[in-house]
Amino acid sequence: MIRWGYAINQFKPQFDDFVRRRQHRRALQVMSISGFSAVELSSGSGRWEPLGNPTQIERNFGSVAGFGEFVREAALDGVSSWFWDPATRFGEDLSHGDDPLDPAARAGLVAHARWFSGALAELGGDVLVARPAPAAGGRDALSDAEIATLAASWNEVGAAVAEDGVRLALHLDFLSVLRRDEGLERLLAATDTALVSLALDTAEFAAAGRDPVQAVREHAARIGHVHLKNAAAVDDLDEFLQPAAEYTVLRAGGSRQIPRWFVELGAPGHVDAAAVVRELAAVDYAGWIVVESDLSPHPPTSTMLNGWEVQHVLAPIVAGALGSD
Amino acid sequence: MSGLDVKWSYMDHWRSQSPHGPIDQWESRTTMDRFLKQVAAVGYRAIDTFDFRWYQIMGEYGSVANYQEFVQERGLERIVNTFHAADYDPRVYAPHIPETWPNILEDFRVTMDRWSGIRLDNIIVMPATLYYDMEPVTEEKIKYTAELWNQVGAITLDAGVKLTCHHEFFCGIQSRAELDTFYRYTDPAYVNLFVDTAQHCIASVDPIEFYEAYADRVTGFHFKDTRNHDLIGDYRRRPDSEIMAETTEKWFHEMGDEGGLVDFENFMRAVARHGFDGWLSVEHDKANKLGGDHAESTAIARWYAKNVLEKIAAEEVAR
Repeated sequence: MIRWGYAINQFKPQFDDFVRRRQHRRALQVMSISGFSAVELSSGSGRWEPLGNPTQIERNFGSVAGFGEFVREAALDGVSSWFWDPATRFGEDLSHGDDPLDPAARAGLVAHARWFSGALAELGGDVLVARPAPAAGGRDALSDAEIATLAASWNEVGAAVAEDGVRLALHLDFLSVLRRDEGLERLLAATDTALVSLALDTAEFAAAGRDPVQAVREHAARIGHVHLKNAAAVDDLDEFLQPAAEYTVLRAGGSRQIPRWFVELGAPGHVDAAAVVRELAAVDYAGWIVVESDLSPHPPTSTMLNGWEVQHVLAPIVAGALGSD
Repeated sequence: MSGLDVKWSYMDHWRSQSPHGPIDQWESRTTMDRFLKQVAAVGYRAIDTFDFRWYQIMGEYGSVANYQEFVQERGLERIVNTFHAADYDPRVYAPHIPETWPNILEDFRVTMDRWSGIRLDNIIVMPATLYYDMEPVTEEKIKYTAELWNQVGAITLDAGVKLTCHHEFFCGIQSRAELDTFYRYTDPAYVNLFVDTAQHCIASVDPIEFYEAYADRVTGFHFKDTRNHDLIGDYRRRPDSEIMAETTEKWFHEMGDEGGLVDFENFMRAVARHGFDGWLSVEHDKANKLGGDHAESTAIARWYAKNVLEKIAAEEVAR
């Protein structure tokens, strides 16, 4: 069964935004009334990240269960998933990021993964979405040895979070070093299919110059999670190789000063959302489709427009596919 | 309200940002498309509009019926009500001044002809001029005003549309005594009431009591909230009360937010108890003031309607 969620990341454009309870409540209510049943959280650290990790949630809501109640009061079923960038430093435990390419960091990597998966399970979620490798800027393509190390790290994480009933899904973004030398395919091939799945982000794939529909066909058996969003531009200048591309390319738009890489599903762009969903239905994908509009200048509008697209275009495709069985 | 079929319409105050600054949805077909999809996405089933938009409708869509078709293609059922926002002026257009009535009556004949291509439930009016243009508000002036609207109501009813009156807190008929006088002199066959919860609340008229008193004449509502009563006579402030009062930069808020004064839950119980079976309109005009966002307000109000008010209506109907 396909379930529709929405990612919360767009509501927090800067570290000092989106810290108040009323803002959180309204964001969840906008998602709910736009037709989505769950929210995907994003990892973060510190007191201005009330929803960023289990510790901050406990400090703000009394307990993880208390936050779950808050989510349900907004008429959502729960939390679908949690996006986690292991490079995040967590002031909560004075850690400085866990490099999955460093075997010595693996214990910390696994511990942080369990930190999230334990809370996620309590919140009704079942997917930990992780950034599997660093950005490409300033480094070479990953060697076979590095891919093997990476795979070992994520296999271990996948096994650990499975103990909480949570599936690990690795998320390729268009700035990732995994774009080089077929890094993603090599990593998927090196990981245990039972422990590690792919989080297909349609816009990140499109911005990376890949066809997301083709990606569904190629990786059908490995897709464990979907981020559905549209891409306004393609990084065909290979600007992902620049240092600090998260700022200079993703936010500043690179040499073309692209104002937004990601746009709503129905806007002109490089992702044919209907074709993606049709293909997901065709391969019997069962899991979350989390619609995302990160870096949107108008989060409620993006949520509502994407809600319209899901209700009037995409969900009927899924229903039609079910009906034709 | 028959059973649980609560029908929500959205009154189309709307602003959004564009590359050239704030815009309304009438700028282009693209902006209208985005507006309508957002309204439909959160579960409104129809829209209300202003009839002064006729010029933009004719220019962009060719006819009112064509525009309604555009609305329907985005998943909304139809246009339910239109608000006739008259530009009152005691010299030429003022309901309490009979010498201006020919202009007003002709205006409504023209307006009803312009909108004859679609079915409307109501044409909504503010039935009096700005308060300071009517004061001192006397029984005689209210009586004249009532007579004018009796005549207008006959014109609109002849076109199949109900005339209904919406009392802004700054209009010449806004206190409970003025309201009662007005409805005593108007003919229920021609003049109906449209209850705006926030406007009455600002004017210290209890919207529930007022609605209960005239329920059989009510043909619609604006469900909207306020955080302020007018305590110092802002209703008669020159030149404007609505967006220029020193006391209150933003009078109107969406229902479902914190700090509101309107008791929507008991208001909804009253609406359900009286078996109202028309459309319930949501409004939050000027929601963009003080950093507000129309899209967010529209979603929050609809969330509240679905998750709180519809459940209350169901409870009340089940009693």
